[in-house]
Amino acid sequence: MIKISDLQKVYRTEEVETVALNHLSFEVKEGEFVSVMGPSGCGKSTLLNILGLLDDPDGGSFIFNGTEVAHFNERKRADLRKRNIGFVFQSFNLIDELTVFENVELPLIYLGVKGPERKQRVETVLDKMQIMHRRNHYPQQLSGGQQQRVAVARAVVNNPKLILADEPTGNLDSSNGNEVMQLLTDLNEQGTTIIMVTHSEHDSRYSHRIIRMLDGQTVTENILV
Amino acid sequence: MFKNYFKIAWRNLQKNKLYTFVNITGLTVGIVSCILIGLYVSEELSYDKFHDKADRIARVTMQYTDGTTINRAALTGTKVGPQFRRTFPAITAFARTVQYSPVVSVGDKTFNETHFLYADSAFFSIFTFPLLKGNPATVLAAPNQVVLTETMAKKYFGESDPIGKTLKVNNGKDYTITGIARDAPENSQIRFNFVASFSSMRVSREEIWWTANYVTYLLLPHPQDLTPLQRQITAYMQTDPVRYETGAGAKLTYFLEPLTWVHLHSTLDGLEPNGNITYIYILSAVAVLILLIACVNYTNLATAQAQGRTGEISIRKVLGAGKGQLFRQYLGESLMLTVIALLLAVFISIQLLPLFNQIANKSLSSASLLQPLPILSLLLLGLLVSLLAGAYPALVLSNIRLMSILRSGFRLSSSGGNLRKSLIVLQFVISVFLMISTMVILQQLSFIQNKKLGYDKDHVLVLPASEEIHEKYDAVKAAIRQVPQVINTGGASGTPTYVEWTDGLSATTETGQKNFTVKAIPCDADFVKTLGMQIIAGSNFNAADMHMLDTTDNNKNFRYTFILNESAVKALGWTPQQAIGKTVEKYYPGIVRAVVKDFHFSSMHEAIGPLILFQDTQWVSRMYIKVSGKDLPGTIARLQSIWKEYAPHYPFEYHFLDEDYNTLYKTETRTGELFGVFSLTAILLACLGLFALAAYTTAQRTKEIGIRKVLGASLASLVGMLSKDFLRLVAIASLIALPMSWWAMNRWLQGFVYHITLSWWMFATVILLALFIALATVSFQAIRAGLANPVKSLRSE
Repeated sequence: MIKISDLQKVYRTEEVETVALNHLSFEVKEGEFVSVMGPSGCGKSTLLNILGLLDDPDGGSFIFNGTEVAHFNERKRADLRKRNIGFVFQSFNLIDELTVFENVELPLIYLGVKGPERKQRVETVLDKMQIMHRRNHYPQQLSGGQQQRVAVARAVVNNPKLILADEPTGNLDSSNGNEVMQLLTDLNEQGTTIIMVTHSEHDSRYSHRIIRMLDGQTVTENILV
Repeated sequence: MFKNYFKIAWRNLQKNKLYTFVNITGLTVGIVSCILIGLYVSEELSYDKFHDKADRIARVTMQYTDGTTINRAALTGTKVGPQFRRTFPAITAFARTVQYSPVVSVGDKTFNETHFLYADSAFFSIFTFPLLKGNPATVLAAPNQVVLTETMAKKYFGESDPIGKTLKVNNGKDYTITGIARDAPENSQIRFNFVASFSSMRVSREEIWWTANYVTYLLLPHPQDLTPLQRQITAYMQTDPVRYETGAGAKLTYFLEPLTWVHLHSTLDGLEPNGNITYIYILSAVAVLILLIACVNYTNLATAQAQGRTGEISIRKVLGAGKGQLFRQYLGESLMLTVIALLLAVFISIQLLPLFNQIANKSLSSASLLQPLPILSLLLLGLLVSLLAGAYPALVLSNIRLMSILRSGFRLSSSGGNLRKSLIVLQFVISVFLMISTMVILQQLSFIQNKKLGYDKDHVLVLPASEEIHEKYDAVKAAIRQVPQVINTGGASGTPTYVEWTDGLSATTETGQKNFTVKAIPCDADFVKTLGMQIIAGSNFNAADMHMLDTTDNNKNFRYTFILNESAVKALGWTPQQAIGKTVEKYYPGIVRAVVKDFHFSSMHEAIGPLILFQDTQWVSRMYIKVSGKDLPGTIARLQSIWKEYAPHYPFEYHFLDEDYNTLYKTETRTGELFGVFSLTAILLACLGLFALAAYTTAQRTKEIGIRKVLGASLASLVGMLSKDFLRLVAIASLIALPMSWWAMNRWLQGFVYHITLSWWMFATVILLALFIALATVSFQAIRAGLANPVKSLRSE
């Protein structure tokens, strides 16, 4: 499903040049659950941004679903992204001014899904995430675990092929964290490919494979399953 | 999608109260200014356009010279209308008009009336003043016919039909009512309560070029006939027979002004005072500038606030929102704000109209606002404002690079900062410019108000002198003097604040024959003393000299007595002392009794020219009564009983001389007040924007402030640091505004012969004031930030 080879990304400011990705290559198959681990500054987040089509690489190849996307412009990337990828963030990134229902509804709006169908799909996913009773609350009225469940609901509401999770349990206590990991595992079992960046060895054990990074390169790959 | 946009816009407005308040207030005030000024301007521009034949009507002005001065007036003698009509085929019809303020009575109803017009019979066919009753072609066809306005008909006759009834003018002649006209609109240079047939006046029987008291209008077949006709008139006035007839010495000619051009462009007042196109331009510019300030507030705040919205924007982007969608969303927000502001502005404008009318001396109504055209223009204005103010922030917000915001948080780029700074400078250039202008205008107005006029206009009561008063003139004066608080009393024709009587003065002097135009005041012996005019040579009129006005034997022995002003004496080439006892001529000869110090007898726009006073009580139209100022109500009551006794058939109405004086500067005072109001608005708006912007930038630097505090920064140094940037911008703006306002105000002051000189302290005061206001605005935020507990701000990061 994803094949990157020789991927490079360099950040330049006026005086400093930081190599974030240094000729990185790996592959993720459809239905896999992969953890990416490594110390701060090793390039994990840069990798996730490129995989999420939020940013473009400076060099190398990125094949997504059989298409070379490394040189897509912003519009094409946005189009591909909204149809295929769901995001879960450490800090949830819900829009404070929108209710639970409206937050989850947002990706469907941008996909151009009609109102009645939107309502039905949002309700289904909220039900599944057991957050239906909070549908009219605002994010700040929810606990961290509940907020992340909403974020996951939002990530999956458009049935993406790929979910990118950036330290999804980073802001949660362990029981809420386990709950979210269980949700991701369930989604993976239903066929969704998941790539998760994490610091937590505990969380990484939910995945099939761990890619360890250092200074923009992969160091090891552990296959867990 | 739109519901979603709307929802989030609405919730954002609720969440950021300061932001919403500043923006809605700013835009509302800006739009209110636009609406009010727009109504004012469009009313001024619409003057006289309601006549069906407006583009075919011309007003005749007269220009004559006595060799030394050129005199111009929008007045003609009685001959111009009929003679031109006979001579030039391009004139279809003419109407001579003149207006008086007589006493009108119907039965026992007697009132002092104004706007009593006399006009030729073609009046109602040339102008579109619709008649509710009567035939436009015949209502003024015969002598002693009069047309009333609807309002006057109600006032005198109530619900009954006035047609065929009569009214009495000045307790003399009866006029038969032949028609009822709809009230003349406000935007008309001709306003009337009554229109009587021109043929009712004795002067109409004789056609003469001189004695120019009449405003003459001509109707042409086509608008384009005006220019050729003008050429024909100029040529005609130079032909020998005409020159012979008008007098060899005087060069007399006439100019045509298109009717719709008169109100805003002509320098000559006719029946009503004119407006001024310059003030129209200035006011329109002020409206645009205020709106610009409000737009800048929006732009600045929205971009500053973008920082707080980067989270939302990036999430939307991650979830698949396109640039276009985001752009539309944020533009939608500014549209929503504008629509709210627009509705509020319309509501507030309607509430403010009475107050505005008072300041602007108009009677604009909200009905004129709720017409298709104004509503359409308002909608366009709203669209323009939301685009002007919202496009840039929307562009910035929708263009934020995703990568930069996902984790590191979004920092406003320095280029955006520069734009904001430039916009602040722009706002303060406008504000400081308006403040300086207001300051100079107010200074000049107070200069006029307090200038020594050469006579004392304070505590002088003015009362009308009717025929009944004339009959017992000395007895009335003696009675007035009996009133305890009365210091002196005298009578004259017209008002000394603006002398209209124009005459010719000639004398044989050591350097030859002198002949020139003067202003003249016919008065009684006590007038000069009553008004406190200063005699610098000779002695005042003597009432006994009245017998020299000897009309027996065909005026053979008729002699005037004169008092000349300094300028007149100078024009004759004499010193004041030399002039005493000399004989000069104002058609009839007379002796110079005294010379008065020059006093201002017209507006400060004009230099003091030669003037003569001559003793002749038959022309006295007003009694001037100098009072001590104590017990005014009692004094007025006493005077009223005197008037009741001596002039029982005339209503008693009084006013003070300084009121006459103030009406001379109505336009300036009005402009000054309007300017004051709008410049205050501008500076308030600019400060409001500054205040909110300071709040945002301070919030942005919370962490920095915290760290500085932990490291030992004092409150003063923090306030200094935070205020410095803004103050610098205001200082730059002041420097830009300074030469602009200097230039503009200098030009404005040139319009006055007597004016203040611009001095540095006026500019310094305003600039210091602007800096102070800005400092107060910004330091409020800075002090708050400086006093906050640093632990809190550091922990939150």
